[in-house]
Amino acid sequence: MIEIQDLHKSFGPLQVLKGIDLRLEHGKVLVIIGPSGSGKTTLLRCFNLLEIPDRGTLQLAGLRIDFTDNRQIPRKTVLSLRQKTGMVFQSYNLFPHMTSLGNVMEGQVTVQKRSREVAKKRGLELLAKVGLADKTESYPHQLSGGQQQRVAIARAMAVEPEVLLFDEPTSALDPELVGEVLKVIRQLAAEGMTMVIVTHEMKFAADVADTIILMDQGVILEQGTPQQVLRQTRNPRALQFLNRLIGEE
Amino acid sequence: MDDRKLHIFLDSLLPLFKAGVAYTIPLALVSFALGLLLAVVTALVRLSSWRIPQLIARFYVWVIRGTPLLVQLFIIFYGLPSVGIVLDPFIAAVIGFTLSVGAYSSEVVRAAILSIHKGQWEAAFSVGMTRVQALRRIILPQAARVSVPPLSNSFISLVKDTSLAASITYVEMFRTAQQITATTYEPLLLYCEAALFYLLFCSVLSVLQNMLERRFDRYSAR
Repeated sequence: MIEIQDLHKSFGPLQVLKGIDLRLEHGKVLVIIGPSGSGKTTLLRCFNLLEIPDRGTLQLAGLRIDFTDNRQIPRKTVLSLRQKTGMVFQSYNLFPHMTSLGNVMEGQVTVQKRSREVAKKRGLELLAKVGLADKTESYPHQLSGGQQQRVAIARAMAVEPEVLLFDEPTSALDPELVGEVLKVIRQLAAEGMTMVIVTHEMKFAADVADTIILMDQGVILEQGTPQQVLRQTRNPRALQFLNRLIGEE
Repeated sequence: MDDRKLHIFLDSLLPLFKAGVAYTIPLALVSFALGLLLAVVTALVRLSSWRIPQLIARFYVWVIRGTPLLVQLFIIFYGLPSVGIVLDPFIAAVIGFTLSVGAYSSEVVRAAILSIHKGQWEAAFSVGMTRVQALRRIILPQAARVSVPPLSNSFISLVKDTSLAASITYVEMFRTAQQITATTYEPLLLYCEAALFYLLFCSVLSVLQNMLERRFDRYSAR
């Protein structure tokens, strides 16, 4: 289970998160939507401490971290939390000097100290799972955006995280490549992977989410099932955002 | 060219080549290897948040870049004995050139590290790596690729700069040319011959640079 309470984060004078509370049960999918600048990416990056919150608590994978008064978080805590989370970035961020397989093995070998044979075996399984069994020896620049993002998903899964974090995983992709990435994420959802996904793909969000959070200006406007958030909201700002999206589609 | 000159030219080929291979190249290689190590350490210190070491690193780069290499070599070899430090010419030369390579190349290494997109750090952190692991496995290998052309420049400059060691009695290729000149009185011939050898060595390095870049190109789309 993941639980966040009263999470605050500022960048200088700019308050990005103004008291976020949420819970996510094991095996569930949480989708975060909202206009740009609403703080959704920052919130996601707090899950694996790429951003350190100023205030609040985070409970994840048996760790409970209290950020009260900018308290220094022990390095060991940060590292063990990151090993229990995997992240998929908008711009893939694959390691360009390693093959697909190298990318998927890297965390296993360097961080988890698995033997190369074990790491390779798991790496090949994961690449097959995301449909890239024939691309294990390709370097990132030899792959399409959709293929790169699928390698990135395999890399994030390789360290056997308890939760996968997706930061707009399809925003940098050509429209015709979005489907292959969403398909992999749907499959993971069906297998019961716990996931937190920031996305602009509303139809996908409605399909895959157990819970949707709609954020605006650093607070949660609406929280509930896709039905509740996307169809039944009465919040004027939420309606404004949703209508604009529907207008685009 | 008359017979006598041709003879001097041919007779000098082997001694010059030997001096190059046995003295110039080892001096350049040792100094560059140590200098590169110093450069990486200096660059990392300057990118770190440790205040005092950072000041020391900046001071070091400032002093070495702001004073002539020849003067530095003279201080090390002719000056230090006054305070009881007497160094072998080779050691003195290695110290001088290492300090020089370290200072100039630290800026190259620092720029190369800064040129790596911050998403690479984040991707490394997201799989649980420490800063040191991220640096060693992800950042430095990519920075190395970026650094090959400018560092090749440094190395080629260094090979030529080793001729300055002649002035602190280290008998490398140029000093050998001077010695042959002293007995043959053919400065134009001998110094041109030495220049040709420097040109040859540097050409080989350029070829090696190209091979290295091509090797790295396997994983870069550019």
